[in-house]
Amino acid sequence: MATSNPTGAALALWNPGADEHDPISARTYGFWLYLIGDALLFCSLFASYAVLDNPVNAAGGPLTAQVINTPHGLWQTFIILASVLAYSLGTVSLKNGNAAGVQLGILAALLLGGAFLYISGTDLWALAAQGNGPTRSAFLSVFFTLLLTHGLHMLFGILWMLVMLVQVGVLGFTKDVVGRLLNLRLFWQFQATMWVCVYFYVYLLGGAR
Amino acid sequence: MSSHYNPLQHPEVQQGTTGRYIAAFLASAALMGGAYYASTQKLPLMEFAATAAALSLAALVSQLALFFGLNISQAQIWKGVALFLAIPLFIITIGMTVWAFSSLYSRTMPMDGMLMSGQPTLLQ
Amino acid sequence: MQVAVDGPWSPLLGRLSLAAIPYDNPILVSTFAVVALLGIVIIGAALYFGKLGYIWREWLTTVDHKKIGVMYIILGLVMLFRGFMDGAMMRTQQLLADGPNSPGYLGAQHGYLPPYHFDQIYTAHGTLMLFFAATPLVAGLGNLIVPLQIGARDMAFPYLNATSLWLTVSGAALCMISLFVGEFSNATWVGLMPFSEMPTNPGVGVDYWMWAFQLSSIGTTFNAINMIATIVKMRAPGMRWFRMPVYCWSSLTTNIIGLSIFPVVTVALTMLGIDRYFGTHFFTAGYGGNFMLYVNLFWIWGHPEVYFLMLPAFGLFSEIVPTFSNKALFGYPTMVAASFSIGGIGWVVWAHHFFTMGMGPELNGYFSAATMLVGIPTGVKAFNWLFTMYRGRITYATPMLWALIGLVLLLIGGLTGMMLSASVFDYTVHNSLFVVAHFHCMVLVIGAALFAGVTYWWPKVFGFKLDERNGQMYFWTFVLASLLVFVPLFYLGFAGVTRRLDYIYNPALKPLLWVSEGGIGMYFVSLFYFGKMLYVSLRDQIPAQADAWGTGRTLEWLTHTPVPFYNFAVTPQINARDELAWRKAKGVEGVQPTHYVPIHLPSNTAVPVIIGALATVFGFAMTWRIWWLSIASLLAIIIVVIIRSFDKNEGYVLSAEDIAKMENQVALASIIAEQPKRPALAQVEAH
Repeated sequence: MATSNPTGAALALWNPGADEHDPISARTYGFWLYLIGDALLFCSLFASYAVLDNPVNAAGGPLTAQVINTPHGLWQTFIILASVLAYSLGTVSLKNGNAAGVQLGILAALLLGGAFLYISGTDLWALAAQGNGPTRSAFLSVFFTLLLTHGLHMLFGILWMLVMLVQVGVLGFTKDVVGRLLNLRLFWQFQATMWVCVYFYVYLLGGAR
Repeated sequence: MSSHYNPLQHPEVQQGTTGRYIAAFLASAALMGGAYYASTQKLPLMEFAATAAALSLAALVSQLALFFGLNISQAQIWKGVALFLAIPLFIITIGMTVWAFSSLYSRTMPMDGMLMSGQPTLLQ
Repeated sequence: MQVAVDGPWSPLLGRLSLAAIPYDNPILVSTFAVVALLGIVIIGAALYFGKLGYIWREWLTTVDHKKIGVMYIILGLVMLFRGFMDGAMMRTQQLLADGPNSPGYLGAQHGYLPPYHFDQIYTAHGTLMLFFAATPLVAGLGNLIVPLQIGARDMAFPYLNATSLWLTVSGAALCMISLFVGEFSNATWVGLMPFSEMPTNPGVGVDYWMWAFQLSSIGTTFNAINMIATIVKMRAPGMRWFRMPVYCWSSLTTNIIGLSIFPVVTVALTMLGIDRYFGTHFFTAGYGGNFMLYVNLFWIWGHPEVYFLMLPAFGLFSEIVPTFSNKALFGYPTMVAASFSIGGIGWVVWAHHFFTMGMGPELNGYFSAATMLVGIPTGVKAFNWLFTMYRGRITYATPMLWALIGLVLLLIGGLTGMMLSASVFDYTVHNSLFVVAHFHCMVLVIGAALFAGVTYWWPKVFGFKLDERNGQMYFWTFVLASLLVFVPLFYLGFAGVTRRLDYIYNPALKPLLWVSEGGIGMYFVSLFYFGKMLYVSLRDQIPAQADAWGTGRTLEWLTHTPVPFYNFAVTPQINARDELAWRKAKGVEGVQPTHYVPIHLPSNTAVPVIIGALATVFGFAMTWRIWWLSIASLLAIIIVVIIRSFDKNEGYVLSAEDIAKMENQVALASIIAEQPKRPALAQVEAH
């Protein structure tokens, strides 16, 4: 909307078209910021892990090399990457509004995520059953906390996927549903990226010492 | 606003492609597999750490670029900027903590009690 | 797995029993009577005037950033009062319990507070002042002003914004509940380890503190995300980065800090929590626990947190000084650069809080030097304000007075901070009253900035100014009180008085303690003037102009006073850094839009306040170990969020005719006015 000042020059003072902002971009950006905060949460866990991964803090109990299963970890890495791939391919179907493709991708990602959690859960359970549970020493406390924090993220992602499976069917591809599907993709990828860090730091480096 | 706004045409929906995601999966899986292979090779510790770190870092970068699809387009630039600002904080949090405590531990007299596990328990 | 607790526990009520109510403590009983009476009066008045429905519809369920900001500020002021009362009690105890011959009252050996109660008071003082007074005030002003300054309709995520508010409120509610049900932590606001662990601290106090802290940090993290996204994504057309007001820049930096630090303290507190609930050994003595790890994580959060509160204060000065000097801000780019440098350096200095840990000379040297570096950008800012005032036409209105005293306090606090940054000096005065006096000078800078900000923007929000005469009396009494209380503490610190003492060993210190207590008395006088200022302003309600101070420069002064709930009838096109000053120079500041287009706004929702209530229940249940209730409230939160995600409500549209009507009669659109119900739109599927 142009107006002119007393000298007659045209000035743009008001912009009636400006309300048309892009809600999906703001949404994924906000979620991305959340993920950065979440990454700092993992960072502080890694810092704690680095401090407590020390014979002094093991209080006579085991250290990393004795409590991990590196080959299992590698399989878990493949499974989690495949799960991310499945979900990502699901979002490719989103491009042409293919609801069945999206749901199939989510379902596959869900099942692979469940398989990951099964391996992780049985390994940790066996460790705790040997008497090396999180209350054994400060080191084991941080070891369990790091892995369970990642596991909790996965559980949260799985719950979210279940909700989205229903929403895609019930609500269809509304603005909110599409925004959530994009954010869930970021989240699911994020937890896999964090797992890669865990695998490198705990399983590979920790195992080598 | 909602009537003429088609969320499926959004650039972040349209940017993903099957090829890119498969490439991301293959690259990450191969790099992490390579890092695992290095761990079975009885390398000296520092050499192995450097190899595994390089391969894992490459895996992370491949995920950022291919899975997350970070680039400098209008739609993604601020995500990249946010991450770029945060990376030093990741390094500082872990690095300075490790530095402080390795220095502290090297100055702390180890006491027998620290390695003992005979303290009274709180558990039921 | 679960840790055994001292004393009785039942599945239904957990550790809660009638014995938890401190009815034998006259101080707490009288406090309860006052709080209960106030509550009854407020609710009774709302019922009497038939305003309960209005409060629910227009305030508790609102998603409007201005109303949320106002509620944040109300929360902050109430908690500021409670925190002040705690501080007054502490100073009085130290005055009375001075020397072996000092008398004891109310069951205390010296003074009138037994050590265990005194410890809870200083813990509550620190916790309340930081999380429930300063943080809500900062967040509230940010919420109020940033969207207005960048010409946005609202925050990027209005519903998340309300959730942040109610999570903060739930933390504050837990602190208040702890006064009358059970006890508060006695382990200081930073949480001493391993003292906060179960063996040494078996009560519920630490749990209250932990959950109040945890809930409010989640709220603050959400708010930080919201603010960054708003500033990055929602600026009005033409508002390029370097046209943003400096207050927005400082909000951006401060929220970048907030987003990056709060997860760290969440981890530290969660570790303490699982130590306490499940018997792990992060910070315990024995089993390899390392309590310095807690200190390290806590201060990774804790030091940037100082700048998280300080940078908005600097931003407020940068708005107020130019307005009341009637001049553009001097050195805008260096202000922006300085904000980012302070944020960045503030992130890498945390270990100066525990120089005495013994991490060695290299690290102490590094942290000393890095701490000193903070002085450089801060100095840049201080000189920029001075140069802004230089040859300006200065008006000494109340906000300007607050800003000026803020500069003086910044000088005192900053120079003593420079002393403390030298690790050798720090070893001498570590944990002494010298440190207490230093950081109180710094938080008083924040306090001065917040009072300045509230006075400055009050007319924009409510349509009338705060009374100048009483405001200035409040200012002078407050400043005098602050100097009287805190300057003696510098000397007491040098004399060897450590912080958190419920008993002072040396009767020779009495004169200084009396001076300090005199300051507390003066604070009560200033409180009287604060009340009088509010009373007189609310009684008279002299209408203010759109540009309330006459020399405003930034965008928020362009819209009506009081600000309409839709902010701007038509989004402004930004042409310059100080848009209003630019329009005044062109002579077009009064030009209004010629026609209106419909505005799309979000509908109110009760979900955030329900989440806040459930979060309070969750924190309470976890504190008292009522497991069924914790699980139920957590599940309820998840279910509420899921149900809400199925809601198709797309907000509502304000028609052009409605806007035209309200533009002609501004009071109709004021945030205090009740709005008629407007039909909501339903979201539709894309094809």
